[in-house]
Amino acid sequence: MLRDVWLHKPRTILVVLAIAIGIVGAGSVLNTWALLRVVVDEGYRATNPASATLWTDSIGPDLLARVRALPAIADAQVRRTVSARALVEGGWRPAMLFAMEDFRANRIGLVRERAGAWPPKAGEIVLEHSSLDLAGAGVGEALTVRYGEAEPQALAVTGIAQDQGLAPGWMEHLIYAFVTPATLARLGAPASLNQLQIVVRDASLDQDAVRRIAFAVKAEIERAGHPVRDVAVPVPFRHIHADQMNSLLYTQAGFGVLALLLSGIMVVNLVTAMLTGQVREIGVMKSLGARRGQLAAMYLALALVLGLAASALALPAAAAIGRAYADFTAGMLNFDTAGYRIPLWAYAVQLAVGALLPVAAALGPVVRGCRIPVSEALRDFGIAERGSGSGGRLLGRAGGLTRPILLSLRNAFRRRQRMVLTLLTLATGGAVYLGALNLRASIRAAVAGMFGAMKYDLAIRFARPYPADSIEAAVARVPGVALAEAWSGGSAAVVRPDGTFGNRFVVSAPPPGSRLQAHLISAGRWLRAGDANALVVNPKFLEDEPSARLGGDVTLTIGGRASRWTVVGVAAGESPVTMSVYAPREAWTAALGVAGVDRALVASASLGKPAQADLRRRLEQELVRVGFDLAGSGLVAESRAVTEDHLLMVAGFLMIMSQLMIVVGGLGLASTMSLAVLERTREIGVLRAIGARHGAIHTMVQVEGLVIGIASWAIAIPLSVPMSLVLGRAFGEIMIRMPLTFVPEISGIFQWLAVVLVVSVVACAWPAFRATRVPTAAALAYE
Amino acid sequence: MTLSHQDAEPLIALRGVTRIYPGAAGPFTALDNVTLSIERGEFAVVVGASGSGKSTLLALLSGIDRPTSGEVIVGGTAVHALKERAISTWRGRAVGIVFQFFQLLPTLTAAENVMLPMDFCGTWLPRERRSRALALLDRLGVADQADKLPHKLSGGQQQRVAIARALANEPAVLLADEPTGNLDSRTSAAILKLFADLVRGGQTVVMVTHEHGALRYASRTVTLADGCIVPSDHAAYA
Repeated sequence: MLRDVWLHKPRTILVVLAIAIGIVGAGSVLNTWALLRVVVDEGYRATNPASATLWTDSIGPDLLARVRALPAIADAQVRRTVSARALVEGGWRPAMLFAMEDFRANRIGLVRERAGAWPPKAGEIVLEHSSLDLAGAGVGEALTVRYGEAEPQALAVTGIAQDQGLAPGWMEHLIYAFVTPATLARLGAPASLNQLQIVVRDASLDQDAVRRIAFAVKAEIERAGHPVRDVAVPVPFRHIHADQMNSLLYTQAGFGVLALLLSGIMVVNLVTAMLTGQVREIGVMKSLGARRGQLAAMYLALALVLGLAASALALPAAAAIGRAYADFTAGMLNFDTAGYRIPLWAYAVQLAVGALLPVAAALGPVVRGCRIPVSEALRDFGIAERGSGSGGRLLGRAGGLTRPILLSLRNAFRRRQRMVLTLLTLATGGAVYLGALNLRASIRAAVAGMFGAMKYDLAIRFARPYPADSIEAAVARVPGVALAEAWSGGSAAVVRPDGTFGNRFVVSAPPPGSRLQAHLISAGRWLRAGDANALVVNPKFLEDEPSARLGGDVTLTIGGRASRWTVVGVAAGESPVTMSVYAPREAWTAALGVAGVDRALVASASLGKPAQADLRRRLEQELVRVGFDLAGSGLVAESRAVTEDHLLMVAGFLMIMSQLMIVVGGLGLASTMSLAVLERTREIGVLRAIGARHGAIHTMVQVEGLVIGIASWAIAIPLSVPMSLVLGRAFGEIMIRMPLTFVPEISGIFQWLAVVLVVSVVACAWPAFRATRVPTAAALAYE
Repeated sequence: MTLSHQDAEPLIALRGVTRIYPGAAGPFTALDNVTLSIERGEFAVVVGASGSGKSTLLALLSGIDRPTSGEVIVGGTAVHALKERAISTWRGRAVGIVFQFFQLLPTLTAAENVMLPMDFCGTWLPRERRSRALALLDRLGVADQADKLPHKLSGGQQQRVAIARALANEPAVLLADEPTGNLDSRTSAAILKLFADLVRGGQTVVMVTHEHGALRYASRTVTLADGCIVPSDHAAYA
């Protein structure tokens, strides 16, 4: 039997390859998953992320020492974060500068050096790895940075570093960089270190417990005479993109299982084919007295050996692909996999599955094959005497087809089980592909919904409050402005029953009867003219502040002053990841204790980002000319792009997964067609004997592959509907806390057709070539 | 002139044909310097023990195999000199092959099997192909089986369909390789009689067989032994 395996080298190689491909497919996903879990779990922990961050005016060495001496505090350090702008390709891009006295002494939120020099010296700047493309400058070049309206300064880029705690700069559309306080001073920015990062001693504490410790630290700092402006407490050891990562990992795990199933299908196909080729041998062995059990054991042992051989091939490949894919995925989330290994259990699982999958897959065919009576097994001559299924015959009756085409059509339906399995493999890949396209469309629709509420195109922030009327009048004078409203806003935090307060959130305060904000309400009502201290909050607010509820009152701390507010409505379609709140403009400015407002929202008369960017430039010039102090401005189109980038990331991964699955499906088709050619050697010989030329044989194999391809295309379309619904639900729940509306991407159906046609032609290229190599003499050889 | 020249030539001419197969135990000479000619309308039956070179002879005549040396001329075409690509087309038109195990395509009906060579070689107008196939099946007595798949037919019926398929392109010569080897004696006799009828209608047939009953239908018997033609009373040498 082993000799037979050796004699039928092509078939044996095909079996081993098919198993190997399956293990590579499933194994690389498993490896990615296993590796990323370790990277996410341990990698983020290893950066020693801050348990809490407090903002004050400045913290000197004495105060820092006092904080460090607190019993609940394991470590503390100070730094400053400054918002600035960098000149890239002639335009100013937002930048965030992190400054520290000595980055070598940085022990919280560890930064890893990637290239060039570290740490930065005065006048130098080190770019964060994920902002490189955005910054458009590399080591050895200069980057011009500007703080507010101060004189821009050219800083030498001396190195590249990575902070895994930051969301990727390319995704946030923000250039992160590291500088010294001296550099900040040169830029004209405040240089005192005012941001205190602490790590609590007890790593098992939850967010609320950490918050209480942070407030004890706040009290300590305030006792030293420094007012604390803000306290931020993240969920302990949870990376900002943990949700995206988890949803990715779970989707990937799902696809890993699917890939394994698909490879199992391929193995069933191949083992069945192998046994078909062995029917005579089985007959001979039985006639020599072999029992059914003995034969079955023999073939199953062979399956085990082939499985082990395939695993030996596949494991290194799966590890390499898994590693590369994990690197890529981690890079997307600003993680670094360097220094982490794929856990051993992942290899063990792959080896076990690789060895046992063929045995399990072979069980059915082996038992069936060993049951064939001796007489039947020995009578195995000529072309297999099996007609095509009724499906094939019906296809043929469509009429007007030549016999070679008819033959291809019916041949495709000849091995019904194998054909169905191949079809399903390819169709599943296609369904995921369509699902990913639909998901992308659904996400775009959801983002459009989210931003649809914003009827303005750009926002301008003023450095200090001005009377609303004067702002509106000045803005309206600029040509191209369709509508302008003066808004107020800022940040606030909920004062909790225990006296601590929650994380800060952004408050927008529209004027009464605002026309620049649509009112999407999921519960309660929108703000009304005449409302006093009323709030409309988003669902995330209710989630993070459990003491707040619709119709209830909350105490907010605004600019250091406490005031009572009533939650009158819950907004729909708002950001899923951050709290956001609306309050009436007059009530807000009163609570803040200021006269005037600090922002203008502007609707542009013309569409398109270039026109809007031009309007922004002209508005800034005009407002500065008439004497306003500006703090900054932003285009809605830009924030929309940031949000889309975040959400589309997962759809992008799904797309890659579906492409991998289509490749697996293509390999399945290639193996099915190779088998078909191997099995029909004599038949092809007969075709040659009755005058079929190379081209005709080639075309017949290709057409047979195309029949399966097109059938998969058709099956994938209905299959993609439940797939899209499941993906939309899962993705929506995880990412935006509401199911996505199903938006079918009709053009995807045609894209998928093009893909499946190409895959079929490529998958059948080798089998078709093999078929043309079949000698005509095969028609005459009976033994 | 060409016509008369062609008429003067035998339909099949083998001149000094040798076929040697390389093998693990040294080269094996399947045919050794064979010279043979067969005229139009002959029913030549090739007999001999297993391994005598019968099937090799047939393979060379049909262009399935090539001689190591010597010439194979069929219907004026130097088969041994044809390029690989040209051979398929030539074979499809000039030669009809009947196999021991029928070798009908299992997914095509009897009529479709007969139409297949016409499709491959582009002979007859597409709309005429089916009626021609039905006429051939009728001639072979299996017209009523035209729309059945091969596995629904008996062995004798399958072989009749296979013969009809071999005749589809009106080949100059019908090559049959043990056509009765897989049939019972009654059916075998019927098939042999059918070949004899075809020969009477002007068809040239070369048949390899073990069956002695075939000899009484033959106009020629070629006996092979160890790759050489054994002289016999019936044999005529070129």
